[in-house]
Amino acid sequence: MIRTLRVARREFVSTVCTKGFIVGIAVLPAILLAMVVLLPLLMNEKSPKVDGTLAVVDRSGQALPLIEANMTPKRIAEREGAAGEVLEQFNQQLKEKVGQGAPEGTLAAAAQLNELPTIVVEPLDPDADVEVAKDSLLEGSATDGSRLAVAVVSDNAITANEEGEFGTYELFIRENLDDRIEGNHLRPVLRDAIRNARLTAAGYDPDTIEALTRVPRVRSTTVTEEGEQATNEAMRIFIPLAFMMLLMVAVMTGGSYLMTTTIEEKSSRVVEVLLAAVSPKELMTGKVIGQLGVGLLLMMVYSGLGIGALSAFSMLSFLEPITIVYLMIFFLLAYFMIGSFMAAVGAAVNELREAQALQTPVMMVVMIPWLLWLPISRDPNAPWAVALSMIPPVNSFAMLLRITSATTEPVPTWQILTSIGLGIVGVYFAIWFCAKIFRVGILLHGTPPTFRTLVKWVRMA
Amino acid sequence: MDSQHAIEIQGLCKRFGPKVAVDHLDMILPTGKLYGLIGPNGAGKTTSIRMILSIIFPDAGRLSVLGKASASESKDRIGYLPEERGVYRKMKVKAFLSYMATLKGVRDPKIGTKIDEWLDRVGLADVAKKRCEELSKGMQQKVQFIATVIHDPELLILDEPFSGLDPVNLRLLRDLIKEQHAMGKTVIFSTHVMHHAEQICDHIVMINGGKKVLDADLPTIRASYPIRSLLIDPLDTGADLGPLDDLPFVVGRTREETAWELTLDGRIDPTEALRTCASTIPLARVELRRPTLEDVFIEKATSEGTDEAELREALRAPDAAALEAEGVTS
Repeated sequence: MIRTLRVARREFVSTVCTKGFIVGIAVLPAILLAMVVLLPLLMNEKSPKVDGTLAVVDRSGQALPLIEANMTPKRIAEREGAAGEVLEQFNQQLKEKVGQGAPEGTLAAAAQLNELPTIVVEPLDPDADVEVAKDSLLEGSATDGSRLAVAVVSDNAITANEEGEFGTYELFIRENLDDRIEGNHLRPVLRDAIRNARLTAAGYDPDTIEALTRVPRVRSTTVTEEGEQATNEAMRIFIPLAFMMLLMVAVMTGGSYLMTTTIEEKSSRVVEVLLAAVSPKELMTGKVIGQLGVGLLLMMVYSGLGIGALSAFSMLSFLEPITIVYLMIFFLLAYFMIGSFMAAVGAAVNELREAQALQTPVMMVVMIPWLLWLPISRDPNAPWAVALSMIPPVNSFAMLLRITSATTEPVPTWQILTSIGLGIVGVYFAIWFCAKIFRVGILLHGTPPTFRTLVKWVRMA
Repeated sequence: MDSQHAIEIQGLCKRFGPKVAVDHLDMILPTGKLYGLIGPNGAGKTTSIRMILSIIFPDAGRLSVLGKASASESKDRIGYLPEERGVYRKMKVKAFLSYMATLKGVRDPKIGTKIDEWLDRVGLADVAKKRCEELSKGMQQKVQFIATVIHDPELLILDEPFSGLDPVNLRLLRDLIKEQHAMGKTVIFSTHVMHHAEQICDHIVMINGGKKVLDADLPTIRASYPIRSLLIDPLDTGADLGPLDDLPFVVGRTREETAWELTLDGRIDPTEALRTCASTIPLARVELRRPTLEDVFIEKATSEGTDEAELREALRAPDAAALEAEGVTS
């Protein structure tokens, strides 16, 4: 036993005290942070500064004035979210932006004024040849890239034809035109111009119609015994995901370290030196315990960060303390099952490359929860979800997803206990099976084994 | 079982699939002896050693190691230098040695000093703080030898300890082994290079094809395998050796590097044969040739039906091939 613990200690220390591990442990939170903070910044919806013309062939004869009226610099600025009178609205904007917690500052908004695209409407003859107009969009044409697009408004776009059908418009754009120019300006302007012209032609006031049809989107409020709070639909989906990811990252980190260190010991032939001092069982147990420590450390760091983040946003109420206990239990079940298999794979192969094929079942087990995440978080008590939460080795992931998703109707305790019980049985068999592979494989060098050889070893040992 | 014996083996068998690696091996190793376990690659040496150490388990047979039914109970009293040996590449030399010592149950707070002394003895005093991967193969081998003896074991099991060593380090290691033996330790020394065994062992156990073919001490082996050949080197290298072949007691002549080996009829006194040969043609050199362990082995093995050429080949096989050939491959 003492030797097992010494092996475990070395395994833990030699894994944790490496630069790779310390950097690795910081990478996940860093990526998450980057996604939360940087992605909105990078996903700039503002159109780039582009100067050019929109050629319009207005065959309806009624759309052009409206198109021109909506393509003025002021209207463009409005659509870009920064009003023409930036300075007047400076304070107003500052308040809004800070209120929303959006990090992009007012400096950016001020600078916007000089960086707005300029699009000038260029009327073409209603009978102009569209093909000729289209050619002007080609590279090296006479317009030399200053013509951004050609819009052709059909003759029945505003007044229906004899069959009572309304027409629409066609839009041709030059190569490499930023999609935000098209999405923010060209399409809305053309669409609104046609719609408003139709309304006017039918005798309605477009502004009245706009006012009458606009109903802003509202957020619901969840009524609970503790009081009312804003419904946080995202958290309902996010919490199960976070738990599943935590479980998976901890299990896979421990598991893959277990595999690589075993391969390293085997390929550097240090293993036989070790086996002179400890039995294969002690070696495997020690390594599994050591990497269990690594997985637990990872879980503690990440769940600590997660709880810290939740409490910082006063959202701790989303977290039931008992879930943490379940997380631990299901971590142990999943880790022992997957970890012992990874150790066996590590012992069976000669080098990392050969491990890939044998790892497939582990990868499948790891992929399933990703497929399950959304369906289970929507419907945690569906019969198939109940069944999956009983079948090792997926049960740990499925049950944890169910427990964290089931807010309205909690998962019955008997199901949780049954899942844990079946998990323990699964762990027992996994360790029994893998210990045999480990014992035989660790001393064998030569052709990379297949699943069939592994089964043969289990029979042999 | 007798506590006078460090190792007792009875009817040990091990198969790997269709291959019989060890076939009813019996062996008794008295305490304090230096035994040579010899045989070509693939003879079953490493498999036997692994069973002695409880690394793998026999299919049949009984064994006792240091008075215990299994080495698992006496691992701390055994020092094992495996044939396939390695080090933790990223670990520092001293940390590796002290880890190996703690695995062997050493709780001596002065273990650090002891490691330093050993490193100093093998001429590696300056590598204690280096990572194992920075060491040359020969240096690693010396570090591994220290790992084998650092816990002061009663029984040393050394599997091909000299493979890959240069002559200087070979001599150093040989002296260290002799020294351990002189301190009263029991040593099993396994090798396929027979003259290594001939140099240091008290007693030889030969195995071939998993079976024991010889188990005797060196003087007995020498006594029971009398001189049966002469080595001659004619003065004139182009001389006609026909007259020698015509001698009634010469039954065969084979080229032995620059000289010739004459095989003698078993009934002739070799000293008389030597005199007769010397007076037949002028010779630069003529000597009685004692049978080497290799000759003994070949004779033993061929009498059991193994092909001689194949055996000589196996005995000279490079060490690297030993890794694949010995014991088990899937």
